[in-house]
Amino acid sequence: MKYGPLIFLAALLAMAGSWMGLVLVPQLQVGELVQTNTVPENATYPLARPGLASEGLQVYRANGCASCHTEQLGQTSTTCEVVLAAVGTNQSALLSALLKVKPELGEATAKTMLTELPQTVLVATNREDADAVAKDLGVGGAKARIRIVPQGPDLARGWGKRRTVAEDFLFDYPVMLGEVRIGPDLADVGTRRPDPNWHLRHLYAPQIEVKGSVMPPYRFLFETRRIDQAPSPDALSLPPQLAAKPGYEIVPRPAAKALVAYLASLRVDASLFVAPYSVATPAATNQPAASTNSAASASTNSPPK
Amino acid sequence: MNERPSLSPGTNLVAPPTVSDLELSCRLPLLVLFISAAVWFFIGSLCALLVSIKFHAPAFLAEPAWLTYGRLRPAGFDAFLYGGCLQAGLGVGIWLLADLGRTLAPRLALTWGAAFWNFAVTIGFLGVLAGDSTGFVGLEMPSYSAVPLFVGYVLLGVFSVLLFHRRRDPVAFPSQWLLLAALFWFPWIYSTAELLLVAYPVRGVAQAVIDWWYSNNLSVVWLTLAGFAAVFYMVARHARRPLHSHYLALMVFWLMLLFVSWAGIPNSAPVPVWMPTASTIATVLLVIPIIALALNVHGTLAGNYAVLRGNAPLQFVLFGVAAFVAANLMRVCGTLADSGQELHFTWFTVATRQLHAYGFFAMVMFGAVYEILPRIMGLAFPWPRLVRLHFGLAAAGIVLLVVPLGIAGVVQDFQLLNPSVPFLDISRTSLAFLRVSTIGDLLLAASQFLFLGNVLALVAQFYRVRTKAAYLLVTADLFKPAGAKV
Amino acid sequence: MNPEPTQPQPAAPEPPRPTAERRPVPVWLFVLFFILLYWAMFYFDQRSAWGNQYVYAPYHSYAQLETFQAGAGGGNALGKQFFDNVCALCHNTDGSGKPGQAPPFIGSEWAEGPPARMIRIPLAGLTGPITVHGQEYNLTSMPAMGAAMTDEQLAAVLTYIRQSFGNKASEITPEQVKAVRAQVGSRTQPWTVPELQSVQ
Repeated sequence: MKYGPLIFLAALLAMAGSWMGLVLVPQLQVGELVQTNTVPENATYPLARPGLASEGLQVYRANGCASCHTEQLGQTSTTCEVVLAAVGTNQSALLSALLKVKPELGEATAKTMLTELPQTVLVATNREDADAVAKDLGVGGAKARIRIVPQGPDLARGWGKRRTVAEDFLFDYPVMLGEVRIGPDLADVGTRRPDPNWHLRHLYAPQIEVKGSVMPPYRFLFETRRIDQAPSPDALSLPPQLAAKPGYEIVPRPAAKALVAYLASLRVDASLFVAPYSVATPAATNQPAASTNSAASASTNSPPK
Repeated sequence: MNERPSLSPGTNLVAPPTVSDLELSCRLPLLVLFISAAVWFFIGSLCALLVSIKFHAPAFLAEPAWLTYGRLRPAGFDAFLYGGCLQAGLGVGIWLLADLGRTLAPRLALTWGAAFWNFAVTIGFLGVLAGDSTGFVGLEMPSYSAVPLFVGYVLLGVFSVLLFHRRRDPVAFPSQWLLLAALFWFPWIYSTAELLLVAYPVRGVAQAVIDWWYSNNLSVVWLTLAGFAAVFYMVARHARRPLHSHYLALMVFWLMLLFVSWAGIPNSAPVPVWMPTASTIATVLLVIPIIALALNVHGTLAGNYAVLRGNAPLQFVLFGVAAFVAANLMRVCGTLADSGQELHFTWFTVATRQLHAYGFFAMVMFGAVYEILPRIMGLAFPWPRLVRLHFGLAAAGIVLLVVPLGIAGVVQDFQLLNPSVPFLDISRTSLAFLRVSTIGDLLLAASQFLFLGNVLALVAQFYRVRTKAAYLLVTADLFKPAGAKV
Repeated sequence: MNPEPTQPQPAAPEPPRPTAERRPVPVWLFVLFFILLYWAMFYFDQRSAWGNQYVYAPYHSYAQLETFQAGAGGGNALGKQFFDNVCALCHNTDGSGKPGQAPPFIGSEWAEGPPARMIRIPLAGLTGPITVHGQEYNLTSMPAMGAAMTDEQLAAVLTYIRQSFGNKASEITPEQVKAVRAQVGSRTQPWTVPELQSVQ
């Protein structure tokens, strides 16, 4: 039996199979992607990473950050929350509808719920059930909205709001998805930790920001230099045992700044057709701007709540 | 050309026994390949040890940029895989093809191939440490090392295929066609990966898919094909019986090529869901090659397990067989138990991969090298006790490395699935297990040092004996007793 | 290290060349293989969406993905859009207000208070001192920013304010806006706080 050519053909057929399946078809499906639109705002997504952030990606690659950190968020299910948003005119009908939908509430709790809107009434696992409940609750002008909420251990841990999809990595070369979670996932770290100074301090000495961390210090990304005339605005503020000796300051090198810019650009927060979710309205981030108001004809007019 | 130094009467030095032409033809390329592989195995295990210590003292060796964890770990792994595993695999493959085919190996071409390969791995290793890593798992060595690697491979691969082509016996032993498939497999996957990831990169996550495809095909498919070739040869030879079933080996061949080549895409990958699904199916089908291997090995050795006693090479090989079964059962169970999409991010996958690459492939290669080197040099290893010590250290090292990591992975999985467990606690729990696995890494590094020592000792002894014999030949006249005939 | 005798030993004698028996594969292994293929078929059918490029885990099919589209009644895109373009000019995009210009919405009892008061403010504007979150503001009058908006738009903006920046209050519907418009009529005089407080 002519082994050689037969084995060559067998290997070729087998190679062709897996090559078609895992090289050619993925290239056609996700390798030819272009920018998509978010839903429902119809904004372009993704936007290319700003220049410093793409340099930062190369620093991330060169130092092998992907050996410990992943950039993939998983999602195990999706739920539809039915949120009662407006009471409408017929409160009693709404109350009875509410109790019909969720009998275990009890009348007292249901009444208090109606005064503290918006309230999540029910969490359904598919859209049909959620729509049915929303319809039931829509008595007398009451409004019930449906919120799409992705579920999964990564999302519950606060690492992101939805799973990562192909469009999130459209402009990256190389795509650094990571393999092992020795450190936390970084897909959405730009939302979680927007402060660049936190990242700089964390890179210089991880233990000052995360006690007990096993991340190695990246001192070579910083330089200790003599203070010129005034301290540089970039200088790190470190605790006394790590701070530079008097007359010197620790400044991040361009590589560190680029890496931090890249980390700040890592966000997975747009709702897409392939990964839909209801974007929550922004939470309070700052304190209200202190209004230094001179003329205080103080008629204390605090309206009742 | 056999060397046959004549003995002077009155001396009691033994000249190196003659080896056949076939073995002689293999000597130079295999020496280069095996010594280099031993060196790279040692370098790889040293890097792995240093990297393991960094978990217990994060500031250890963190200062020069080229020794940071993120550079040392991939560099060490690539050294182990390309410098150690692939070279040993190719060397053992050359021997198998030459011996089973009864053909002379083309010495010069193969030696040049080995030289290019080593040059490529050296600059690749240094390149990753310098920060030029490509960023792709399993393919970190920078593009400037890819060209010499490919040239080296072409030389080694083409001439190995020629070895198969020129075989005397038309009926091929299973090892031969398993190796042939492996020889065709590597250039295909390597050139695809280099072209589509480094030379003309594809866009977005297609890079990750191709990287996972390449990594799986190299670490699982190629290592299994080459490893099985060596296992079947060693087991059949030492049992002095024919291999249990040619068709079981054939089944493994087809399954690995057709199905297992689809594995590798993890469950949480940011790709359409059909890809992880296909990979899961491919991984589950690994059950059949596991059973086929076990049946073949057991069938060949049945009732004859006493042949293991004192037989270090065969002990290495059987350890490798057991490790293959364990590692791939772990792989199958790990894939099926991963509905939360967290298990593949834990130490469990690390343990599985280490058990497969080290416990199975490297151990089988050690056994094969311990078998082949005496045959081509014509001398037994000078210190058999050290060979047994190598086995003991390596076996203990692998167990101490893999078992804690596997358990740590399972614990980590439960903790990751529970969002109320802070990440720092998860990290702290793993550290307890990592202490034991660091000891495993230490034992493995020591065993690699022994391996390198053993190989070099054999070569040194060979040259010492040859030098002495040549010296005697040259000075034979001078020491003739007076009056004796010339 | 205890060295063995320095006499080099020849290699052990060579075992014979191996061959392979043509023993058939056991039937049960084939059966197992086909069982696995059968399972694979089910698994693929159930999980893979048959290669559809838009379906990511956890969705099983394109149809299922379509049902989860957040679009209809999900976020308040309209409200956000108008807020960013109209209100944020003075009140800041994060609702923190601008010193000397506009009070904040963060922690504002006016934003979480009765809808009737809140709807009136943009319809005619506000003048005079107002206390928000314990702080008094006496700024230039707020113009009637909502006078030109439709009922839907104004309802959306006010809902956005009531449910953002840490505020948690009920939605305002276009019907409510329409009702207030009818009551207010064509008033152009900005409101004062005592006037608003007389409304429930």
